[in-house]
Amino acid sequence: MKGCSKHIQQIVEYIDGELDEALCARLEEHLKECNNCRIMVDTLKQTVVLCREGKKERLPEDIESRLNDALRKKWQEKFGSK
Amino acid sequence: MNEKELVKKAQGGDFEAFSRLIESHKDKIYRLALKLTGHKQDAEDIVQDTFMKAIDALDKFRMEASFGTWLYTIALNNIRAHAGNKKRADLRPIEEYLPGSHDESNDPGLFDWGDPHQVLEKKQLNDLIESALSELPVKYSAPFTLRYMEDMSVKEVAAMLNLSLAAAKSRILRARLALREKLSDIFRERSNERL
Repeated sequence: MKGCSKHIQQIVEYIDGELDEALCARLEEHLKECNNCRIMVDTLKQTVVLCREGKKERLPEDIESRLNDALRKKWQEKFGSK
Repeated sequence: MNEKELVKKAQGGDFEAFSRLIESHKDKIYRLALKLTGHKQDAEDIVQDTFMKAIDALDKFRMEASFGTWLYTIALNNIRAHAGNKKRADLRPIEEYLPGSHDESNDPGLFDWGDPHQVLEKKQLNDLIESALSELPVKYSAPFTLRYMEDMSVKEVAAMLNLSLAAAKSRILRARLALREKLSDIFRERSNERL
């Protein structure tokens, strides 16, 4: 893959659907014969898929309630009790 | 009421308008801080500090960017300041994440993951990702997270982090390569254990 390093930016644009058509076709030709680049495409793709699969954390309710109190207090210090 | 009207009201001292402005950003900023620091307590502190600073600086907000972008900028400064106390090794140049970049004869080539869900449970995978991400320097993990977990375009990421488009692209790619490598090492190890 040493000679394939020039493909890395193209690989990422390819995965993200940002590579122009002509370069896409050339890269796909290369992928047919280069196992390392094929694995690179697959594992870079999976890296983002796995990151996106993570749980969508929310600010805990008790923290949100404390936050609102603190912000209201700060607000009153700045603006008075409008 | 649109965002501009809410901002004007908030700048005039209307707390309810400010509350409405920050409502949809609380969870997003919490998630971003949690991903980049890896600690709930730190993330909670960063959220509170971000909104406190937003109140302090509200008069200076000129609506040149969206209110959300402005809040993110404050949050990211807080996260950077927080991370400044924890030194992390810089990432290697892009080419060094590619096989064959060191000693060709000892290079095992790239490891084919197959389906990671067959190797680890979802919870283990989530924990692994969170830990790997929080170990990266913020200058890489922030653009990566904004790009792929908050679905911003590279242009938006560059603008938010005050980077050139090329620098934003490069940092996102280095983070992605570093994460890929960390995960690959773990999956390879697990696979060897199973043999």
